[in-house]
Amino acid sequence: MSNAAAATLDHHHDPSTSTGIPNKKLLMWAFLASDCMFFGCLISTHLIYRLHPPPGTLPAREVFSIELTSFSTFILLMSSLMMALAVNAIQKGNLRSMRWSILTTIFFGLIFLGCQVYEFRNFVFEKHLTITNSILGTTFFTLTGTHGLHVLIGVIWLSIMLAYSFTGRLTEKDAIDVESMGLYWHFVDIVWIVIFTAVYLLEYI
Amino acid sequence: MSAPAVPSPTGPTDHHVEEQGKFWIYIQIAMLLAVITGLELVTVYLPFLTWILVTVLVVLSTVKFMFVIFYFMHLRWDKAFCTILFFIGLVLAGGTMWALLKLFGAEASRPLSSVMIEAPAAVVPAA
Repeated sequence: MSNAAAATLDHHHDPSTSTGIPNKKLLMWAFLASDCMFFGCLISTHLIYRLHPPPGTLPAREVFSIELTSFSTFILLMSSLMMALAVNAIQKGNLRSMRWSILTTIFFGLIFLGCQVYEFRNFVFEKHLTITNSILGTTFFTLTGTHGLHVLIGVIWLSIMLAYSFTGRLTEKDAIDVESMGLYWHFVDIVWIVIFTAVYLLEYI
Repeated sequence: MSAPAVPSPTGPTDHHVEEQGKFWIYIQIAMLLAVITGLELVTVYLPFLTWILVTVLVVLSTVKFMFVIFYFMHLRWDKAFCTILFFIGLVLAGGTMWALLKLFGAEASRPLSSVMIEAPAAVVPAA
């Protein structure tokens, strides 16, 4: 579709629904709102046990690698940029640009997951911190592992969408599908923004 | 697969200019987010009082959070109902976190393992 034709579409409003919001987008926002509470509970559990650690607990800053985590944070932020560009591209009917943006987002997501696997391996085999041998390990691995699972689901979803785009059935009219996926991916990013501060940076103060 | 496309009330030209402008907005915001992340890293090594550093970190991460949800997640351009819906979840999550931290921060309800290990030393009188 040409740019001129693309410009006639409004992707933010849908008069066919009573709310004026596309149903898929509304569903995704409702899901994300509920996921906020899920992560809120996991983060508070970690913070409670960090504020009242049992005697003999390993100091977290001796375990964490702030350089690696900062790199992961940067990568996830850049993946969010590429996701936003992918949504922008499909809304303009630029399928080729959307594919490249999604591919880059997948690449960044995989780098993030690779960093997390490396970090977990390092904690278990070098620092001897496992999910069962300390409260720090239990809350940390549960929280960051759940987030990592969300990233993995996002990467799989992105890959499926990328493959689907080659079937020729993904057009500008289906931009809402890419936008819903984008909302999920950005949510994973904002959860990490909170985890980065609450779990990692606060340990260094 | 999705809702039917509708003409924009702002007209084709305005809408097209807005879509073109978004590209540069996204780039600028991504750069800003990277800079804020760098600032957060520097902050933890500054020799200031803990409460000041914690406040600065909370403010910086809140700014990052808001930029992502309002620009990357399009809340700025979407209907207000999306913002309200998401903030209902956010407020409930924040309230739950605040309540849990307050409850378990109280002396009588500290985490069991911590209380059990520290209790004998606290109740045994000095010889």
